[in-house]
Amino acid sequence: MTSSHFAKDAAEIALEKFNRGEIDRRSFLIALGGLGLAAAFKPGVARADASEIVVCNWGGAAADAFAKAYGDPFTKKSGMKVVIDGAGPAVGTIRAMVESGKVIWDATDGGMIDSLTLGKGNLVEKIDYAIVDKSQVPENFAGEFGVSNYVYSNVLAYDADATKGVAPTGWADFFDTAKFPGKRTMCKWIQGQLEFVLMADGVAPADLYPLDVDRAFKKLKPMLADIIFWEGGAQTQQLFREGEVVMGNIWHTRANLLNKETPDKFKWIWEQNILSASAWSVPKGNPAGKKVFEFINSTLDPAGQLVLLQIMGNGPSNPKTLALMTPEDAKVNPTTKENAASQIMLNPAYYAEHETELQNKYLDFISS
Amino acid sequence: MRNFKTTALLLTVPASLMAIGLYAAPILQVLALSLTEPKFGLANYQGLFANAAVGRVVMTTVKVSVMTTVLTVLASYIVAFAIIHMSAGWRRISLFLVLVPFWISVLVRAFSWITILRRRGVLNSTLMDMGVISTPLDLVYNLFGVTVGMVHYMMPFAILLLYANLSDIDRRIMQAARSLGARPATIFWRVWLPLSLPGIALATLFVFVFSLGFLVTPALLGAGKTLMIAEYISVQISSTSRWDLATSLSTMLLLVVGVIVFAAMRSPALRAAFVARPQQ
Repeated sequence: MTSSHFAKDAAEIALEKFNRGEIDRRSFLIALGGLGLAAAFKPGVARADASEIVVCNWGGAAADAFAKAYGDPFTKKSGMKVVIDGAGPAVGTIRAMVESGKVIWDATDGGMIDSLTLGKGNLVEKIDYAIVDKSQVPENFAGEFGVSNYVYSNVLAYDADATKGVAPTGWADFFDTAKFPGKRTMCKWIQGQLEFVLMADGVAPADLYPLDVDRAFKKLKPMLADIIFWEGGAQTQQLFREGEVVMGNIWHTRANLLNKETPDKFKWIWEQNILSASAWSVPKGNPAGKKVFEFINSTLDPAGQLVLLQIMGNGPSNPKTLALMTPEDAKVNPTTKENAASQIMLNPAYYAEHETELQNKYLDFISS
Repeated sequence: MRNFKTTALLLTVPASLMAIGLYAAPILQVLALSLTEPKFGLANYQGLFANAAVGRVVMTTVKVSVMTTVLTVLASYIVAFAIIHMSAGWRRISLFLVLVPFWISVLVRAFSWITILRRRGVLNSTLMDMGVISTPLDLVYNLFGVTVGMVHYMMPFAILLLYANLSDIDRRIMQAARSLGARPATIFWRVWLPLSLPGIALATLFVFVFSLGFLVTPALLGAGKTLMIAEYISVQISSTSRWDLATSLSTMLLLVVGVIVFAAMRSPALRAAFVARPQQ
């Protein structure tokens, strides 16, 4: 769901940079590798056999030209052929596959929340921690049905020209139109949205879950006319660039890109940022069997995760990556100690239970 | 002759098979899912009527579609009426200009409207430079922007439908009216308009039915605030996995459109649009 929206967005960022010549092929390959994206792109439906790993994600943007350029080197390094299916690992698709006994994917990049939903539905294998090194990631990133390979944050970004150089200090300022006049933007997908509204309303981080939906809606209601809802990462950059909004809840990766474009104008704060974790899941009866866990384990490697941060901005799930970072890397990384000081973590268990209902309530609320 | 007919009929078989395979079969699958997901029965349809949120989405859709239809048909009638009164050369140029938007993708058109209507867009900047307004108007990311985008999308269709109808009207009737002393306004209201009712009816039906299923334009120009049926269905399929809701709503939409088309086709005006073409 939202985590999948993010994964798709991360691949788009890398592709744009590659097209503009800002990164070379090698780095692009390594970065995609961190996402599980580097590999032969096979057009159409991937057909799996035991000698290859089929990874499903949302990165269909890359063409099969990449197959020749990136597929071979990756195979040489890992000894395994990895095939990407960009069809998108929607929970419904995985369900249809597992129930019909025609599983073609070995690993899916669907996020922690999806991994729980799938686990509950008995649709995915347990992560085999005999092969995947659990000690590489913090405890809450190594779930029963999903293990995280990167993280990202929802942050408060702002147009410093519009705020006359005054920096907001937290989500409360999102609602302070007297101090910061102008339109706002927030996401149409529910994850990480009501959390910031409730924090702005004075709810302590420890008391966020279960989310008090009515309270959040009440707080948000008077602001609705001033909010433009975004649905994809590129759109958030567009809204800021065009001066359409002065402040917004956007992904830190996009805030970083805006800042790089116009450093004095577009900034963001790490105060009260909301951290989400991605996760690999393994559909039940996956064709490559246990071999897939070797692939998953390889994506936890700090060196690869560092390149992922440098190219796409995705934060590492492996804390050892922190030691490899330059001060510049650390500044834009959500897991750096200073940046994480007032951070809250999205509660995957809560979303696995309530997201469908919440998302529909939220859509109904913002459109009425 | 019979042989020719048989051959002609046979030639349509591949296309028909393809239409059935690629169009009818998936629709039937959607219908089947709406009755079986998660359990067999009509529960999903009952749920649909009990769901207040779906009600609001339907209301928004109807509201936007009616507005789009009225504005489109009105504006298109004016354009089509002007075109049939042009000289052959101007008519060719005008029809070409009407057709140009057809070749531009709906996505590009939506983004173009954002460029024109946004706060620092072409329109707002011009108005502010001229001193007409002091703060930018909210022209996009709301109902207004969606309606503009949809009317723009639908106008070429409506213009062509109306143009076909209007150019079929026998001009000698107007000459007769004039010779009997009717003034131009009378000729329009009492001759042109009644004779063009079939075209208006057809364009209205077409634009309305088409508008009910708009996806990209409201999603981009409405930015979450104008939630129409098609987008709602798409969210239920891809984001929330509520296939029960998505499939039953799709089936209902299809049914309602079917009923509207069926009922409309029984009206004299529309039957005339298809049958009574004056011979020239």
